[in-house]
Amino acid sequence: MRKKGSGYYLLKAVPAVLLLLLLFIIPILLIFSNAFQDGGKAILEVLKDDYTYHLLSFTLRQALISALVSVALAIPFSAFFSKYAFPWRKALLTVSQLAFTIPTILVVLGFVIWYGNNGYLNNALRTMLGVSYTPLPVLYSFSAIILAHVYLNFPIAFALLTASWSTLPETQENAAYTVGSGRLRTFMRITLPRLRGSLASAFILIFLFCFSSFAIVMVLGGNPAYSTLETEIYRRVHVSADLVSASALALFTFAVNALLLAITTPGRKARKGERRERTLKKAKGAKMLEAIVLSFLMLLFLVPPIAAIAIRAFYTKDGIFSLKAWEGISGRGFGLIGGSIDALITSLVIGIIVALLSVWMGSSIAMASAKRNSRLLPFISSLPMASGSVTMGLGFIFVTSFIFTSLGIRSYCLSLLSVIAAHLVIVLPFSVRTITPGARMIPDSLSNAAYTLGRSTGRTYREIEKPLLAPYRRKAFAFSFALSLGEVNATLMLSSGNVETLPVLIYRMIGNYDYQGAAALGTILLAEALIVFAVGEARWRKDAVL
Amino acid sequence: MPFFEAKGIEKKYKDFTLSASFSIEEGEFLSIIGPSGSGKSTLLSLIAGIEDPDSGTITIGGKDITKERIQKRGIAMVFQDFSLFPSMNTERNIQFGMKEKDRAKRKELSDKLLEVVGLKGYGKRDVSSLSGGEAQRVALARAIAAEPRIILFDEPLSALDPPLRKHLRSIIRGIHDSLGITVIYVTHDIEEAFAVSDRILVMRDGRVITVKDAEELYRKPDSLFTAFFTGEGTALPAHLAFENMEGSIFFRPEEAEIAEDRLSPEMYPRHLVLEECKVVSADFSGPHYMLGLSYKGYPVLVEASRKPRKADVSVKIPKDSVLILP
Repeated sequence: MRKKGSGYYLLKAVPAVLLLLLLFIIPILLIFSNAFQDGGKAILEVLKDDYTYHLLSFTLRQALISALVSVALAIPFSAFFSKYAFPWRKALLTVSQLAFTIPTILVVLGFVIWYGNNGYLNNALRTMLGVSYTPLPVLYSFSAIILAHVYLNFPIAFALLTASWSTLPETQENAAYTVGSGRLRTFMRITLPRLRGSLASAFILIFLFCFSSFAIVMVLGGNPAYSTLETEIYRRVHVSADLVSASALALFTFAVNALLLAITTPGRKARKGERRERTLKKAKGAKMLEAIVLSFLMLLFLVPPIAAIAIRAFYTKDGIFSLKAWEGISGRGFGLIGGSIDALITSLVIGIIVALLSVWMGSSIAMASAKRNSRLLPFISSLPMASGSVTMGLGFIFVTSFIFTSLGIRSYCLSLLSVIAAHLVIVLPFSVRTITPGARMIPDSLSNAAYTLGRSTGRTYREIEKPLLAPYRRKAFAFSFALSLGEVNATLMLSSGNVETLPVLIYRMIGNYDYQGAAALGTILLAEALIVFAVGEARWRKDAVL
Repeated sequence: MPFFEAKGIEKKYKDFTLSASFSIEEGEFLSIIGPSGSGKSTLLSLIAGIEDPDSGTITIGGKDITKERIQKRGIAMVFQDFSLFPSMNTERNIQFGMKEKDRAKRKELSDKLLEVVGLKGYGKRDVSSLSGGEAQRVALARAIAAEPRIILFDEPLSALDPPLRKHLRSIIRGIHDSLGITVIYVTHDIEEAFAVSDRILVMRDGRVITVKDAEELYRKPDSLFTAFFTGEGTALPAHLAFENMEGSIFFRPEEAEIAEDRLSPEMYPRHLVLEECKVVSADFSGPHYMLGLSYKGYPVLVEASRKPRKADVSVKIPKDSVLILP
């Protein structure tokens, strides 16, 4: 049902919706028109080409395996974390949330430094075993792609699963035990079916994410045999310079992605239920030991690659302590690293503008959809998820060149604007999703109370509703900022122009084997990501009012 | 002309239609009762302007406000969930709807209102630190501060503990009496409605069944629905008691009296006598026993001070407290 004053919120959301549609539809239309440039021949070629289906099957396969492994691995950890309490439980759960915003380029970099053939792990093993070959040749293989995807997504599966598992009361399990059902049978027959929904939604989220994965496949696969649809689009643009066939493939990918999204959407319906946490048992004795072992295993998997970045930033390839990279960053460097400060500033400026816009658009769309109980608005705002960010980048290449050819403007500003626009479109669905629960939680009676006391809809929003939305807006700001800060796919696609962000620079430095420089920049990016994360997660005293 | 009048207002939903007409006088305290889903809260929403009726008119002081904006109606509302604004402290909440612009006077007024509701010195308190009872009193002060022509209460005490409810309802009635505010008060608690109201309006399935003062509603209900909704009682087919009579007879348990000896009806011409009632249950409630009897297979409720020793008893009820209802 529509609520009083919903017209006001709709009106307020109109600019945001229009901007979103404009920023999403125009690039997609331009991809369309490029793909059909020669009367649809390029499309037909893509559809007839066996290679397209080879790409599709590989893309699906790696996404499927990555999602399966991530979720399966998370189950035993979540089982323990949703049952027992121990002092550092909360901290580990918070750390796992970090996976939602950590820039993928850091995972790529961390993997190169830690798992690389000359990385810390292999070097240590070589010394220990006294051999000269590479004991663990992980990188540049199919398993490297899977391992990196699992590294990035296991914490996500773990966080989602633990959160919903913790709210399931154990009465059904206890009832099963009392009638003599064993642990395994109870788990398979009672617990697992109850977890089906959250398992499925974690699986789907990770699957979709890996389907559009780019930087990890590009660098860690390191072999054209491991091409996904997204990396192939990139290759066709930047290596073959064949924009028409890239557009055709992008359109194909877009269709597949939209189809996947449509199939999986019903499965991701938010479960309604009590938000009550169940009481955790205190871990003691053997269970305490188990807690230590599980936590240690998790940290052993998650910490080294990231920690390796910060260490490598201070050491040369031969393991000699050096501040060379830091001197390079501070402006005395040559080549890529000389542009560090500029890239850093560019990243921050883009991030702040994107985050501000996405919070503004996100709140107005979320408020309107909550007040009107709209299904259309959430649908519209999640449209960009149907397109991978590489595709979005391709679209904005066309937008930029269209503006150039028709208006004759080509400037740094234009490139910057197109990067901002691309980031905004990519980030907005997440911003809307972050703010919407907050908007829906504002009780009707609160707004009605203000109306009956003579306040207009606008003033009620500013004085009553907006303060309630503040924690959600802050979280959305941090989320948007972090995503923009870490965005590499669309930016890389677009930055054949001259906008160089921090992750793009890191990507290029990895390509030039300047690992120390990349690690130094990576440390800065990591620090920023951590600060933003802390800002988003922190609970201010004033937030606790509802 | 009545101070407030709702004339033929109608609101259709998918599987529910509300249609109501009633009026109240200035300074009156009217309660609206009815089972859940009978449309009490919807009726309040229509009056407040939170929702718009499909047809009908609402007038206050002779002025049609049916199309008036919610902000301009001069109707304040107190909600079940208190609905204090969490972004403001207690004092700010109360001052929120004040028409007075001068800061010092606003402060003076809110202090005075806090005193009226028994929360002197609470002005700077964070509203999240208030208990349920305190929060609802602040909400009440906030509504009064806006100087509304009518205050609507939507089950204001439902979220509170029973002892607190009694205390707060007397505060509400007290404020009504001293300020002479017109009140429309929705509740599902009959006892509460009896205690506070001048008149009570009974709703069922979106319709107004009856409007009466409390005592009349209890003693002279005009339908079985109202009779049972406002208290306990016994309904028997009328022909069991009076020959050739249609409908049902109804009496309250406290009107009936049991006798362990056989009573002959001839001896009690001014009473209705039910012979050979079987005692089915006897629930002790403190002041008395509530006896569940069976008369020719029909359940009969009678209040008694002692538990009967026999399994078969007779019941007599004064004829003038036996109602004949359709």
